[in-house]
Amino acid sequence: MWRMIRNFCVVMVASALPALSQTVTIHAPSSVSAGSSFAIATSGRGSATFYLVGPSHVLKRTIALGQEITILGQDVTSSGSYQAVACGSEGCVNTVFQVLPSAPARLSFLLHPSRVPVSTPNAVNGTALVSDRFHNTVIAPAKVDFRLSLAGESSTRSVQTTRGVAWFEMGSRPKQGALQVVASLGDTTEPRVIQQVASDACGLRMTATPVGHLVKLETDAIRDCAGNPLPDGTIVSFTKTDNAGRSTVDTPIKKDKAIAQFQVSGPARISVACGVVAGNEVSLGGRP
Amino acid sequence: MKRKFRQILMRFFLVMGCSTLCLQIRGAITEVHAAALPRVVLSAEFLAPRPIEQRTGETVTHDYAQAWQDLAEGLNANRTDLLGDYFTGEAKLRLTKRISDQKKAGLRTHYQDNGHRVKAVFYSVDGGEMQLEDQVQLEIQIFDGPKMIYTANSTQKYLVLMTPGSDRWYVRSLESVPNDAF
Repeated sequence: MWRMIRNFCVVMVASALPALSQTVTIHAPSSVSAGSSFAIATSGRGSATFYLVGPSHVLKRTIALGQEITILGQDVTSSGSYQAVACGSEGCVNTVFQVLPSAPARLSFLLHPSRVPVSTPNAVNGTALVSDRFHNTVIAPAKVDFRLSLAGESSTRSVQTTRGVAWFEMGSRPKQGALQVVASLGDTTEPRVIQQVASDACGLRMTATPVGHLVKLETDAIRDCAGNPLPDGTIVSFTKTDNAGRSTVDTPIKKDKAIAQFQVSGPARISVACGVVAGNEVSLGGRP
Repeated sequence: MKRKFRQILMRFFLVMGCSTLCLQIRGAITEVHAAALPRVVLSAEFLAPRPIEQRTGETVTHDYAQAWQDLAEGLNANRTDLLGDYFTGEAKLRLTKRISDQKKAGLRTHYQDNGHRVKAVFYSVDGGEMQLEDQVQLEIQIFDGPKMIYTANSTQKYLVLMTPGSDRWYVRSLESVPNDAF
């Protein structure tokens, strides 16, 4: 009988030994995708406090050691390094894992400038930043298409991202109007518009017509070298030099033309200019 | 003979020292190591498509160092108000959430910042965005109340997006990336 009891005790102690000596461990996958649920394995006995510390989220809860800890996708939406820690009565153990961005899903597109003269080299540039649906930068290369269209003509450039960035630079088109640039990544599109405006005036010319004591000055239709009319409101300067001295009238273009009138005394010279462009000069003999 | 050998050796070390110094000056366009700020060394040798001006480099370096100081103080004291000066956008949102969660859980994080090696890799044509790769030596300690639950001393890599404001550069995105990312 005593032998049986002794054997029973020996068996009980022997079977309990591995459990008593079992240390607490915690093991997570080395990397997971942002927003995906996964499990962290633990070993040991009893309960512990579990901590998950990430770039934008901290989790603290009581767990049963020896069971898997389920981490929900909503707890790992930010990419980056995470620390998982389990603290029991004997101390803390930890593991570090990386949350990687999920599939590309978002585009931030910046187009510059908002207004540009036609036919200007390297005047238009755009930058697209690619991120997943949780705003994590997608480091893996992705293809971004930039589709440019103006007045029925269109073209597309494909650019591979580097560390989540795709960019382009190009000259403005010869025609004025709204240049639409659409950046697209799969089904995601981001449209932007640049207003292309006429460039500097080309072949600026005016005529002078005497009207009583005055001289009426009127330009021809003011256009750039590609034939685009300069926008209304662009300032044209008429400068008169006569016996009374020198005077200038600044007047805005209205319906493609600029009009002004001067009173002249004696012989006079009148010139016209628009921005950096000088037009023709008119000489008048005296009082009209 | 012995004296001659010593002279040759001294000359060798002098030349080596000078050449190392020259390489460091060429490699690092700017460096910030004010008493209170983390050490940040910025290089921009492969920056594209726009080159960086010296003054911009200095400002970026200073403001990035300042941002890390605010981050460390914010995480240690659980104060979100420290994030307003040099963080914006997604970076600010994430850190604010992290600090709020820490506070709720009774945790705090202590960063011993041992310096940053920063490489500027993208500067947009219009000067509106700059992307940096940062390799930082960090000693991290996480506390639950008075009890330290985690400690590690490691090199971490961060991909950073900075954008200019009226008088400074802001950290818009700060994401730790795997060690093989760059």
